[in-house]
Amino acid sequence: MGRIKKKGTSGAAKNYITRTRAVKKLQISLPDFRRLCIFKGIYPREPRNKKKVSKGSTAATTFYYTKDIQYLLHEPLLNKFREHKSVAKKIARALGRGEVGDASRLEKTLIPKIKLDHIIKERYPTFVDALRDLDDALSMLFLFANLPSHQHVPAKTIELCQRLCLEFEHYVIASHSLRKSFLSIKGIYYQATIQGQDILWLVPYRFVQRTGGDIDFRIMGTFVEFYTTLLGFVNYRLYTSLGLVYPPKFDAKSDAHGGELGAFRLEGRGLGATEESATNGEEQKLITSAEAQAEVDKIAALAAKEQQEDEPENAVVRTEEEDTEKIDTFEVAAQDADVLPQPQASNAEVASLFAPFTFYLSRETPRAPLEFLLKAFGCKRVGWDGNLGDGAFTTDESDPSITHQIVDRPALPSESLPQVPEAPKSNGEKGKVQWPRSTMPGRTYIQPQWVWDCINQGKLLRPDLYAPGAELPPHLSPWVKGKKGEYDPTLPLAEQELEGEAEAFEDDEDEEDEEGSSDVEMAAANGTNGTNAIVDREGSVEAGEGMDVASDESDSEESDEEDAGEEFDGLDSEAESEASDADATLRRHQRELKAEFHGEKIQPVVQTKKEKNAEIRKKAEKKRKEEAEEKERQKMMLPRRKRKLLKRIEHGEDKRDKESEALRKKRRRIEKAQEAANALS
Amino acid sequence: MSSTSRKRKVVQRASPESEEELADGLLEGILSHSEDDSEEESESEHDEESDASSVIEGLSDEDEEEKDIESDEVPSDGEEDIREQLRKLRTGDSHSKRSQASGDQSWNGNAEDGLEDEEDSGRNYTVTTDANGNPRYIYKEIEPVYDSDDSDAPETTNTIGNIPLTYYDAYPHIGYDINGKKIMRPAKGEALDALLDSIDIPKGWTGLTDPATGKPLELSEEELDVLKKLTRNEVVEEGYNPYPEMVHYFSGKLEVMPLSAAPEPKRRFVPSKHEAKRVMKIVKAIREGRIQPYKPPPEDEEEELELPHYDLWADETPRPEHSMHIPAPKLPPPGYDQSYHPPPEYLPDPAEKAAWEQADEEDREKEYLPRDHEALRKVPGYERFVKEKFERCLDLYLAPRVRRNKLNIDPESLLPKLPSPEELKPFPTTCAAIFRGQEGRVRSVSIDPRGLFVASGGDDGYVRVWELLTGRQLWNAKLSDEDAVDAVRWRPNKDSAILAAAAGENIYLVVPFAILSPDVEQSSRDVLDAGWGYAASKPSTSTNGIAAKEPPARWSRPGPRLEGKGVLVQATVRSAVKVIHWHRRGDYFATVSPRGQSSAVAIHTLSKHLTQLPFRRLKGLAQSAQFHPSKPIFFVATKNSIRSYDLAKQELVKILQPGAKWISSFDVHPGGDNLIVGTYDKRLLWHDLDLSTKPYKTLRYHQQAIRAVAFHQGGMPLFADASDDGSLQIFHGKVVGDLMENATIVPLKVLKGHQVKSRLGVMDVVWHPREPWCVSAGADGTCRLWC
Repeated sequence: MGRIKKKGTSGAAKNYITRTRAVKKLQISLPDFRRLCIFKGIYPREPRNKKKVSKGSTAATTFYYTKDIQYLLHEPLLNKFREHKSVAKKIARALGRGEVGDASRLEKTLIPKIKLDHIIKERYPTFVDALRDLDDALSMLFLFANLPSHQHVPAKTIELCQRLCLEFEHYVIASHSLRKSFLSIKGIYYQATIQGQDILWLVPYRFVQRTGGDIDFRIMGTFVEFYTTLLGFVNYRLYTSLGLVYPPKFDAKSDAHGGELGAFRLEGRGLGATEESATNGEEQKLITSAEAQAEVDKIAALAAKEQQEDEPENAVVRTEEEDTEKIDTFEVAAQDADVLPQPQASNAEVASLFAPFTFYLSRETPRAPLEFLLKAFGCKRVGWDGNLGDGAFTTDESDPSITHQIVDRPALPSESLPQVPEAPKSNGEKGKVQWPRSTMPGRTYIQPQWVWDCINQGKLLRPDLYAPGAELPPHLSPWVKGKKGEYDPTLPLAEQELEGEAEAFEDDEDEEDEEGSSDVEMAAANGTNGTNAIVDREGSVEAGEGMDVASDESDSEESDEEDAGEEFDGLDSEAESEASDADATLRRHQRELKAEFHGEKIQPVVQTKKEKNAEIRKKAEKKRKEEAEEKERQKMMLPRRKRKLLKRIEHGEDKRDKESEALRKKRRRIEKAQEAANALS
Repeated sequence: MSSTSRKRKVVQRASPESEEELADGLLEGILSHSEDDSEEESESEHDEESDASSVIEGLSDEDEEEKDIESDEVPSDGEEDIREQLRKLRTGDSHSKRSQASGDQSWNGNAEDGLEDEEDSGRNYTVTTDANGNPRYIYKEIEPVYDSDDSDAPETTNTIGNIPLTYYDAYPHIGYDINGKKIMRPAKGEALDALLDSIDIPKGWTGLTDPATGKPLELSEEELDVLKKLTRNEVVEEGYNPYPEMVHYFSGKLEVMPLSAAPEPKRRFVPSKHEAKRVMKIVKAIREGRIQPYKPPPEDEEEELELPHYDLWADETPRPEHSMHIPAPKLPPPGYDQSYHPPPEYLPDPAEKAAWEQADEEDREKEYLPRDHEALRKVPGYERFVKEKFERCLDLYLAPRVRRNKLNIDPESLLPKLPSPEELKPFPTTCAAIFRGQEGRVRSVSIDPRGLFVASGGDDGYVRVWELLTGRQLWNAKLSDEDAVDAVRWRPNKDSAILAAAAGENIYLVVPFAILSPDVEQSSRDVLDAGWGYAASKPSTSTNGIAAKEPPARWSRPGPRLEGKGVLVQATVRSAVKVIHWHRRGDYFATVSPRGQSSAVAIHTLSKHLTQLPFRRLKGLAQSAQFHPSKPIFFVATKNSIRSYDLAKQELVKILQPGAKWISSFDVHPGGDNLIVGTYDKRLLWHDLDLSTKPYKTLRYHQQAIRAVAFHQGGMPLFADASDDGSLQIFHGKVVGDLMENATIVPLKVLKGHQVKSRLGVMDVVWHPREPWCVSAGADGTCRLWC
């Protein structure tokens, strides 16, 4: 017999370590430990048996995997933290002595710079790993790019975030990898597919963010520090994979004018500028005279022509490229062979969705997301109002090359608009064509949602549905995959409702209506010969009381009784209903016989709508009941454990069913209301 | 003190006795001497004590003093000294006494002068006479003679050194002077003194006590001045001027006579070579570029901050998957209800909205409320955005990650694959006929082997035979007036129609009269009659054997009334019979009477009209007994176990433990390897005899006790149970010959129809021998045919 093993010396007890012990082992402070964990991506674990790990106590504690902590011991960052601590002491001492200059010098020269690249390599050994984890990084950085600077988040960091985000957007535009986007109440979701990885990120709307409450910016700052480094390297890799130089040229002046995407200039390796993103919009702004305007127009037209001329060349080049890079289709030669599936080459098609158009963004539209989306889907010429910032293709709303104008203003009758103050003549022409006073012929006016819906559906939608002032169709999330039994708002109701559900609903509604109408009628009767009515029903109703109340009560009682009866009958109700059916047929038969006997013509029994509904409903109910019975029967034979499992699954399913049923009901009601409204009008 | 006491003794001896005393008598003197001595001892002690007390209260001390003086004793030196001290402190009124006393002393001293002269030349005391005329010695201070310059050392009054004075709190003295004498604590706090002190404050009075002397600390004018200056941070020295006039030692004024007459050195006028050397060095360094001109440090630190980017994944090697590494879960993509302009059905009702707003933030199912905005420009900022991102950050580094297997099971796949109800058909579903006419409960039913008749017996004591299909009563006979008919069973042979019925202790064998075809009736009667006389021929053997024991049963004819009805044989056993079961060949039948202990189970031979008791003693209460359908095995059910016995080998084969508290009935599958057991504790147990002694399946579908269970004996895979809840349950129970495959049991149908009377529902159930029909006996007085 071997030696008796001591408890707590192996297994789970050794595999996990509490946070306090971990901090003690690493000999660092708790905030440093937190930073280290964030950088290294180390997270607490939930041991399978907590009691074994914590030696019998069941108090709530966080456990780390011992090997994780062991692995932190060799982290070079630990030394940096220690150095930082000693320098911080020196600085504190200098400040205590009032030697501010010394302190600042120490801070500038001695504080160790933390480099995270080795950690990124460790955490994401392959590039695809890094892409897979980019969701949170992008969401976070896009948020910080829109935040004001803060004590723990210096302005420099925010600038860096903005730059990195714009660089990433440039890559997405250049690689045409954006797939979907969605306007939610939280912000705008984007999804790009890069190297087969779906990356979903959320960008807030441009408003001042509420930062109060218990938000610890130190923690977020640590995350941002890591994410900026990560995105920097990812951007480098992405740019180089496209043959672009990283970092792209950054035009600080343009950025100061709100150039955003336009402030960057992508350069290919040895090719120079590939994309002509920014045009001479600024110059145009300065021109005021009509002649100059005309000249400018000419130039613009020329530029457009040039571009058009350029394009075919580019296209040729591209097609050649495509020819070499594209996957060849494999034709099956012989009959008896397996066919391997190949990916569809439809991405390119979608990527050039807006390529032939020139867009103009009105002043009230969100420029940044629209610009990004349009450019990502192939549009090269996006102009906008000069107020929206630098870098537009054109700031002139009357530019004839504009094909689409995105407008987010209600359409008002022109009379209600305020008079334009008499502008100088040179400006007169310009004023005329401006929305909403008049529309340019040949230009499509649409609301922003059109862009999103087109992108998500991968095709151009009818613009008239999205015309300014029109009631927009609902904006749907492109990521919801319909599951069995789940409500799908895109399908008509009839396709997804259960059998007999609509009829049941109709009956309910009818009953409600009838009750209502009968009440109304009663009330009317009361009005005309109220006294008679009261006299008639004096036995049941007291003189002072209203009639409708009484009738309501009796109705409800009746229905209650019916309900009670049904419940009481339970299983036998089936038989009864059958019997009643049989009765009905028997009676009909008898009537027919009678009619024959009398020599009358048999009148086909016309079922009223209600009867029909009831029949359908009854049938559906019966069927459902049978199914339920069958299921119950099967369940009786299950072992208890499996029965519990089944119960759990069914609980979830029931919840889902209930939700979708509620949604269907709501929709039915809305549709009905709409119908009624239509009928009235 | 010792020295003083010794001295005192000496003094005692030396002192001459007074004349008066001597006159009194020698004895007396001795006594008095000793007395005196002891008295003195005590006196001294007393004195000490009084001294101590004197410190505390001056007045009492004074009294003591007066006593002392009156008591004519020689006071000791120490005493004297203390008194001396006290006297010094004493106010005027004690003065007269002192002078008186001193007068006495001096008188005493004078008286003794002559006596003492010779004894000690250098004597250090003076002798005076005390008030009584006795000599009194007053000692001088001892003058220690030192030959050192210690004499002019400061007079340290207290020699205790640097220790807290509080140590002496309990004593009358506060230390010792240089001579080793006690320094007595000055009396203080005397009310009058204090008053006097308070009236005119002496100069330099501080109110403090000098800890070294214990006397009130007095400070002189100068000392106070010093203190004052110290507190003001001034220089203590008198007349110190902190700002003296500046004296210009080296003025700019050119004196006529220089301090030094030496001429100015040349080096003052010649450029320094050393300096030139150093400058050249620097110049050279600058020329060579070793020294750069100062440049202010670059302002834009962004360049420094930003790390140079490079291809981090130039040589990427995928890491093998590790089971402990759990990547952070991605956030789910938004659904329809998150849209800024969702379909109207996703918008919340007012009720839902109110519920959402009222709910606590943590209880909300969704952290947002779906909202509709008719245009993009109307969409406000999301106020929880930063908070949500922060929470995500917390989740990423603070939330424990667990890999949970998601329940991605199709619930359909969990359900066992059952044969469809169509495949399971036929089974009884509806009530086809009701046999009415019984009074009270029907206890037992049986269908005859040809499937034509149903026999029933109940509380009214009648045995009735009904036509199965129509429910018409064909025949009846009242077997007993007081006992209920507990069991009726048809004999399983098809060529005859014999019914066994039990009422009380009696078992009747019946050939129903006038409903059978004549030849069947005849053959049945023949079967019954064959046994007559066998018992009569036997007695010879039984008597010449062991002594005539009471036979377990008496076989007889029931009497003409019943015989006329067709009840042909009556066998009476010792206790009431509850269960009858026929052997498959019809020659034997077993009866069970649960109350008869040793005769609980009896096996009757029809052809011999013989009754045997197979068990001498039965463990437990017998409930039921059955023959194996093909083998010579006999099953006996007791209260909570079923035993099977091999009748041929006469041994116990198996004990089944259904785990039930009270078995009500059981039935053996026609194959013989399976058994169903019904129990009063609502369970139906399926035993596979080959599998184990424990039940293979335990079914609990009844609300009340199960009274009867029955297998279909005609080859259909059906079984039924009857329960007190008024329902019958029909199951499909298929047994396959293959040993590897377990029996399939499928619940089929719940048959309801019997009414529950006094908490009893269905009492018995039997299957039709061929058809999928069954007949049940109810406590409501009816039998029902289900098909």
